[in-house]
Amino acid sequence: MAIHRIEEIQSHSPFERGAPLTIEVDGEPLPARAGETIATAILASGRPALRWTRTRGRPRALYCGIGVCFDCLVIVEGRGTVRACQTFVAPGMRVSLPRPHDER
Amino acid sequence: MIEADIAVVGAGPAGLAAASAAAEAGASVVLVDEYPRVGGQYYRQPPAEFRVDDPARLDAEYTRGEHLFRRARHPRIRVLAETLVWGSFEPGTLEIAQAERLERIRARAIIVCTGAYDRPVAFPGWDLPGVMTAGAAQTLVKHQQVLPGRSILLAGSGPFLLPVAKSLIQAGGRIVAVLEATRPRSWLRHAPGVWGHWRYLKEGWDYLRAIRAARVPLAFGWLVLRAEGDARVERVVVARCDDTWRPVPGTERALAVDALCVGYGFVPAIQLTRLLGCEHVYRPLAGGWVPAHDADMQTSVAGVYVAGEVAGIGGSGAALAEGTLAGLAAAARLGLPVPARQLIAACRARQRARQFGQLLNRLFAPRPALGELITDDVVICRCEEVTAGRIRAILADWTANVNAVKALTRAGMGPCQGRICGGLVADLVARGCGRPLDAVDAFHVRPPIKPLPAGLLARLDQPSSEIPSA
Repeated sequence: MAIHRIEEIQSHSPFERGAPLTIEVDGEPLPARAGETIATAILASGRPALRWTRTRGRPRALYCGIGVCFDCLVIVEGRGTVRACQTFVAPGMRVSLPRPHDER
Repeated sequence: MIEADIAVVGAGPAGLAAASAAAEAGASVVLVDEYPRVGGQYYRQPPAEFRVDDPARLDAEYTRGEHLFRRARHPRIRVLAETLVWGSFEPGTLEIAQAERLERIRARAIIVCTGAYDRPVAFPGWDLPGVMTAGAAQTLVKHQQVLPGRSILLAGSGPFLLPVAKSLIQAGGRIVAVLEATRPRSWLRHAPGVWGHWRYLKEGWDYLRAIRAARVPLAFGWLVLRAEGDARVERVVVARCDDTWRPVPGTERALAVDALCVGYGFVPAIQLTRLLGCEHVYRPLAGGWVPAHDADMQTSVAGVYVAGEVAGIGGSGAALAEGTLAGLAAAARLGLPVPARQLIAACRARQRARQFGQLLNRLFAPRPALGELITDDVVICRCEEVTAGRIRAILADWTANVNAVKALTRAGMGPCQGRICGGLVADLVARGCGRPLDAVDAFHVRPPIKPLPAGLLARLDQPSSEIPSA
C-alpha cells in the first residue's frame, strides 16, 4: 500500500509522534513510534498488505479504518488475532501476518 | 457489577451530550466507549502519545470537541474507555469487556449512541489493498497523521467527500480528482429545502474553495466502475454516469492511482439496538434501517433510548441535539427535574438539523444502478470471501432472505458479523427475488456483537474486581 507518514511530504505534521520503538513483523524488526497503530507501522513501511485471505490468498490492507470491518486482522504474540487499525504498537511487540492455511 | 442511573454507549457527539445533560440534571452516568479517548469519529482525538507540536498551527477541527470533553469530566460521569458492550442478558443490564476482564453494568436507562460507519459499496476490486472508505482516509490523516497514498482518487457521493478532500490537501496529499456521482442540476428540484440552512452552505463553500485553491479537479456525474491491480490498486476505471448512475457507454477512462477512497454516505450502527430487541424501521432518507423511537428518543424497549447517527444519518448537529434530548428524557423518566428551556431548545435544534440531514440524504442517496456494477466475481462477504455469483446462484423463493443466504453460503458468518455485507446481501436478495428492501430481513444478531477472546468468555462466571475508569 502507499500509505506514508505526513512528514515525508510536509516539513512536519501538527503533532510530534510518540517515542521511537521497534516491533517485530514476521521475524523482521520494524521501527515505529508510540501512538501509531500496527496498521500504520506496517503499511507505512512499504509493505503492501496486512494479511492474505484464508481461501484465495488475496491480499488485504485497510478498508473501514475504524474497527468495524475486521479486514485488517493480524496476529500479536500473547494476544491472538487483533484488528491492526485498532491496536497500538508497543516496544518488542511481535506481529505475524496471517496467510492462507496457516496452522495456528 | 457497575451500577448507575444511566448507561450511555458511545462517546461521540451524541453520547457526550447525553451523558453531560443527564449528569447535569442529577443522574449518575456511566459512559462507555471502545476507543481509548472520548470523541467518537467526529471529534476523534489523536493518540495520547502524540504531543501537540505547535498549538497555534492546530486546525480548529482538532479542537472543536474540547468544550464537550470538558463537560463530560463531570463528577457524576464515570467514563469506561477501551470497553466494549458485547451483550445484554437481562433488561437494564449490559455486558462489557475490557482487555483483561468482563463486567456487567446495571442501569435504569440505557442511551445507545453507537453512531454510524461508511456505507459499504461493492464493485470489482473493492477488496484490493489501497481501496478504502472515505472515513478510513479521514481517520488515517486525523488520527495517525498518514496519507492513504501518493496519488489519491476520492470518489462517491455526498457532502462527506468535501471535508475529506480538505484534510488530505492540508496534509500535503496529492488528489488526482474528486468525483461526485450526482450532478448539481439534479439538486435543483430540492433547492428550496436549503432555505434557512445558511451555515451549512457556507461550510460547503469553504470546502469547495480549499479544493479549488489546491487545483484539485472536481467533477460531477462521474462514477467509479472498478479498481484494478495485482497486489494493490494501480488503476481505477471511471465513467460519466446519468442521473440514475448508469455509466454512459464510451466515456470510460482509467486513472493511475495508488489509493482509492470511496464515500457513499453512512449507515447506522444498529447491532446493539437489534440485540436489545428494539423495533427497527426502514427509512432510506435516514440511511436505511434505524431504531424506531418517539419524540423523547425512546425506542420500543422501555428505558432504552437512541441518539445521533444510530437513529438516522443527520450530522453532528442532530447528534448533539438528540443526545441532549435523550439525556434529559432519561433523567426525567427517573424523576429528576429537567430544565424545560433546555428541552425545548434541543427539540428545535434537532428538528432543524434533521430537516437538513434528510435533504442531503435525498440529494445524495445511492441510485439503484450502483448495484449493477457488481459482477459475479465480486466478493460480497469480505470475511468469508463469498462472491456475488455464489449468492445469486442460490437465490430462490425459499432463500429470499439474508439468513438463509447466510446459512447456505457463510456470508455474514465472519468476524465483522455482517456489518459490511449485510446491506449488500439484502440488496442481492431484493433484486434477485423481486422484493422491496423493506421486506428483506437482516442477519440475526447474537452476542457477542463483536468478537471476544474465548479465554475471556471462559471467565464469565468468575467474580471480577473493580475495573479502573478512564
